[in-house]
Amino acid sequence: MKWRYPFVFITFVVLFVCVIGRLFYWQVIKAEMLSELAKFQYSGIVKILPRRGEIKTSDGFPIVANKVSYLLYINPTEVKDKSKTIHILSTLLNLSTASISSKLIPDRLWVPIKSAVDAKQKEEIERMKLSGVGFEERFSRFYPEASIAAHLVGFVGKNEAGADKGYFGLEGYYDRLLRGKEGYGVELHDALGRPILSKRNEQTKGMEGSNIVLSIDRSIQFLVENKLKNGVEKYGALGGMVGIMEPQTGNIIAMASLPSFSQINYQDYNESLYKNPFITNTYEPGSTIKPIVMASALDAGVITPQTKCTICGGPITVSDYELHTWNDKYYKDTNMIEVIQHSDNTGMVFVALQLGVDRMISYLSRFGIGSLTDIDLQGETFSSFKQRRSWYAVDLATTGFGQGISITPIELLTAFSALANEGKMLGPRVVTAFENSNGEIIKVPLKVRGSPITAKTAKVMTEILVNAVEKGEAQWTKLNGYRVAGKTGTASIPVKGHYDPSSTIASFIGFAPVEKPKFVMLVILEKPTSSIYAAETAAPLFFDIAKDLLSYYDIPPSE
Amino acid sequence: MKKPSLIIIVLVGLVVALSMIKAIVYNRLSTSGVYVGKIEEEIGFYKTQNAKLLEKLLAFSSLTNISAKATELGFAKNTSLMVLKTLPLAVKQ
Repeated sequence: MKWRYPFVFITFVVLFVCVIGRLFYWQVIKAEMLSELAKFQYSGIVKILPRRGEIKTSDGFPIVANKVSYLLYINPTEVKDKSKTIHILSTLLNLSTASISSKLIPDRLWVPIKSAVDAKQKEEIERMKLSGVGFEERFSRFYPEASIAAHLVGFVGKNEAGADKGYFGLEGYYDRLLRGKEGYGVELHDALGRPILSKRNEQTKGMEGSNIVLSIDRSIQFLVENKLKNGVEKYGALGGMVGIMEPQTGNIIAMASLPSFSQINYQDYNESLYKNPFITNTYEPGSTIKPIVMASALDAGVITPQTKCTICGGPITVSDYELHTWNDKYYKDTNMIEVIQHSDNTGMVFVALQLGVDRMISYLSRFGIGSLTDIDLQGETFSSFKQRRSWYAVDLATTGFGQGISITPIELLTAFSALANEGKMLGPRVVTAFENSNGEIIKVPLKVRGSPITAKTAKVMTEILVNAVEKGEAQWTKLNGYRVAGKTGTASIPVKGHYDPSSTIASFIGFAPVEKPKFVMLVILEKPTSSIYAAETAAPLFFDIAKDLLSYYDIPPSE
Repeated sequence: MKKPSLIIIVLVGLVVALSMIKAIVYNRLSTSGVYVGKIEEEIGFYKTQNAKLLEKLLAFSSLTNISAKATELGFAKNTSLMVLKTLPLAVKQ
């Protein structure tokens, strides 16, 4: 009988070990899996969408904000009168009946029909009391100033997964920053599906999108857009552009281009309109490049303002090409001040030849020509120079008066700003600060790009440009009492190996007031029909805008 | 060996008391969830109203709207710019 006691004891021990082993298996080894299964039973994962950051002008006004909108969805299993529902929704939402009916697949429980439905439409639909129709609240882009600065701002569309994504301009360039980060939370429910105490145990913390503060002055942008629209109509141009920059900081104060598009209905416009031509279109600058070339030659010491052009008595032949002035008028022994005043091509050929290929390439590069300006906008392009060995004498000669060289308007505006800022050049920028979701403001530092010329050269060049405005072909349109430095540019358009004689790109670039420049402005009109000359189209538009800017900045006349 | 009756009573009492507290707390938490849900709904409602009002405010204070309203009311832009080449009499004196 001695064996009974140990037998029972061992049996119990074995049984207990089995039970403990099983418990260990479920509670330790399988604990994580069971925990996940339990969560599925009493909780649901909630996606917390971040609010997209706003885009504000320099006065703090959001030109791009967010508004409450709704996603309309249908639960096909709950729809009682299918044809009535389709008819009402197609009428109120301006959708085709086919597109709605194709989505109403009976075995689905949730079918999205239309996003960005506004509150008014929602109320109208709710009044119809359609069964199976519901709304989900969300945010969509709202533009209080309508399509102002559309090219600059870009737009928000959808990516492949159907989520919001910024395209072009600031929306494209700063998409990740504006978008923020999605958060996910777990919502606990009781047996009846009611939320229990602390609703959301945030597992992955989301982040709201940051706001962007621009250097754009809303009033000036508004003014420029209206003036440009009127100018394009008045001069019968295909389109136009205006860019205004503060030379001391590189801040872009306004940037407008026509034709433009509406960000809300971007899909209704041709895709070619989405690009900002001020930073993406390259063109031959024509005479507006002359001050840059002249300043380079002055800085290199190969000419002085009083240097006489010894080859300006008539057309110049370079490598079998005969080069003329724009009006076939020639000024023998003209000096450099008059070369700019008359926009004399032969005079600029003289300057270019004095400068030479190497120094021409070197100086243009220092002015940032032939490279990106690194402006904080999506889509900037540039046209690089030819290889040094491919430069022929005629290339050097024509570069002097802005032919055979392609640049973007932003390159020219940036280069010209060096003349207005004592020879120092700053990189253009549109964003001055970021505001994160905690209210912290992070300022964007200035981008110094070097000093292509000395302050003395810049001063001399400025006076030459003031003389050009006072006595040049655009003198009729100048502002009385103000000293403005500027230059017209009537650039021919290359078409299939030759220049189109009937159409031009008319432009005017300048800055004011010359004592302490407040702005540098470039105005471009594409193929104006009232006159092909910049002096009769772009120049008056430039001075029309400049007049209002000087008044806006409270700058009194100096003369 | 003396029976540890006091310990047993205390332990049983403790178990009963803790169970009751647990039941009460769970009960209160369960109903609080409904209130929390309602409060959150209310917060959501006010947030939405706030966003809608902000939208209206921005639309009204936009230059586009002000300019259109000004035109409607008959305001016209003064296109003449006065340039004083000589000092006004008042300044001379």
